[in-house]
Amino acid sequence: MRNLLHAARWLLLLPLLLAAGFAHGAHSVSVISPQTNYQVEILSHEGVEYVGLTDLMEPLGRVESHVEGNRVRFLFNGTESVFEQGNTQCRVRSTSVNLPAGFLLQDGRGYVPLASVSVLLPRMAELTAEMHPVSHRLFVGVASIHYTAELRTAPSRLVLSFTAPVNPSTYMEKSRVRLLFRREPVVGAASSKVTYSDPFVRGVTFNESAAGAELNVQVAQPATVTVADGGRSLTISPSQPAAAPGAQAQNAPASTAATSPGQPAAQGTPAVRAPRGKAFVMLDAAHGGADAGAATTPAEKVLTLALARRVQKELEAKGISVVLARTADVALSFDQRAAATNTARVSLYVAIHLSPEGHGARVYAPMLPPAPAEQDHRAFLPWELAQTPYLDRSGQAATSVAADLNTAGVAAQSSAVALRPLNSVTAPAIAVEFAPLEGGEAELATPAYQQKMASALAGAIAALRGRWGEAQ
Amino acid sequence: MISRRLQIFTVLLVLAILAMGGYFVHLKRKAEAIATPQVQQALVAPVNGPAETTLLFLPNDEDGTLHATSVTAPQPADPGERARLALHMLIARGLAKDSPHPYGPGADVHDVFLMDPNSAVVNLNQALVAGLHPGIQSEQLTLFSMVLTLKSQLPQLMRVRFLVEGKSAETLAGHVDISGWMDVIEVQQSTPIAH
Repeated sequence: MRNLLHAARWLLLLPLLLAAGFAHGAHSVSVISPQTNYQVEILSHEGVEYVGLTDLMEPLGRVESHVEGNRVRFLFNGTESVFEQGNTQCRVRSTSVNLPAGFLLQDGRGYVPLASVSVLLPRMAELTAEMHPVSHRLFVGVASIHYTAELRTAPSRLVLSFTAPVNPSTYMEKSRVRLLFRREPVVGAASSKVTYSDPFVRGVTFNESAAGAELNVQVAQPATVTVADGGRSLTISPSQPAAAPGAQAQNAPASTAATSPGQPAAQGTPAVRAPRGKAFVMLDAAHGGADAGAATTPAEKVLTLALARRVQKELEAKGISVVLARTADVALSFDQRAAATNTARVSLYVAIHLSPEGHGARVYAPMLPPAPAEQDHRAFLPWELAQTPYLDRSGQAATSVAADLNTAGVAAQSSAVALRPLNSVTAPAIAVEFAPLEGGEAELATPAYQQKMASALAGAIAALRGRWGEAQ
Repeated sequence: MISRRLQIFTVLLVLAILAMGGYFVHLKRKAEAIATPQVQQALVAPVNGPAETTLLFLPNDEDGTLHATSVTAPQPADPGERARLALHMLIARGLAKDSPHPYGPGADVHDVFLMDPNSAVVNLNQALVAGLHPGIQSEQLTLFSMVLTLKSQLPQLMRVRFLVEGKSAETLAGHVDISGWMDVIEVQQSTPIAH
């Protein structure tokens, strides 16, 4: 009898727990930034949605919060903001910012209206912020990605073009292809639907949910998704029976296992996968945010990002996929850079620096004690020694890149140095420091110099990829 | 009515005050000009010991190498003091005018602690770090030149650690990792030496 009562109590509680769980999921905002993704709880107060300041800002940088009576003095990476309980105005640095509702101070924690976040973040953190209210997603430091869908014939196929590289989760189903963009800020008209009178592509719908933005392509037969233009273009075309499972599996890179087909072969459809393998290289534009780097004009952080973008363009033109560690003027810690690289599972990490001292380029490999011969390769390594198993290849990469830079007319030498974050990267890792060729510091910012260095570095990376490919 | 004699006396007094003020300003500037180089230079304590040859590895930012130079000077008997003196002489070269690897005013090494015959801890001052030219190469050459200079004084030295104002730091000036020990053999193998 007691057991029955116990079971009945749990049966009554179960719906409540489930309801609480769903409510919890709906009452949070997903923050997506280049370095990290996280959830921030939403607090409803008198019909207004609020988010905790510390919860929102802490993953993005250094935070300090001081409560002084009704006032909260909030420091983000040294930038001061002052909020006051119930006040619809706050002060960021020396400028006043209007809030759509009063600031909320509860249990010693400060909350700002959710609707104010896209206004506050650019001022407090110098980061772009874009709120997608439908999906409750906040994109920080990343720009919206727009797409166009173009139906092409002979053979019939749908080409989706994006304004920036995308890497969606692809789900293949019997009569549709689902492309789920969890991290990318893909935007489109809310719940838009386009229909086609085509024998293969029947229509495309776009919608957003808490899981992300989703493109659904209705197809008449099993389809293949191919990626081109460095991830900027996805083509959905009918599967070729002759090239079905075997051939595609052979061509697909190992990392395509990350693509999770919804119902792969259960319905008799070929196990098609988008050939969206991992990127080859992570380009890390050094410095950013409050860390301006060398006091060049403009600052080193600006020059490194400009150069990284040029290298990216050059590499993508050669068909080599690239990830940028930062795409905006954001502060990333060494550990964040290493973590992003390790997560991306790239084959090469290249940190880009510029210096007004000396001439040409210096290529650095990490300097660490070599791994003991008896060390088990599967053993866990301390974070600061994670590079150890890759030291040889990092050294080879540095030598190879320096040689190719010399060939391209950029005097370069290679050496090793203990450099953050190279020691924590679980891939061959190098740092390249560019200096003026002939002129002085002013030369670093000229388009001609940047293009020459970008072409030389891209050529060296492409050559390295070729050598590694041959070796394998 | 003020007498003419009193008027002349007052004018002369004012002129004398102005002249003395001007003279004091002149003396102050002269004293500052004499004092400034003393602040910029690493002070080397007078040593009463036999003159010996010390090998200094001088960094050169232009070609990114270290240049080995012999210096003969009196050396103290204590190994720690010898090591500190060698680094003082190294930094003094960087403070010289037209140095190929200049240090900022006041750059110095506070202490060199010998933990055991194999390990040394170098305590740098903030002025040295703040005055460095920005960049990986500049930081690398600064540290490597010190490590190799110490090695020339202490042949058994195997590892060196750097502190800034007595505290452990993540990087020297934003680039090179100084949070751990620097392996002397690794440094020897990685250093571009000018021939």
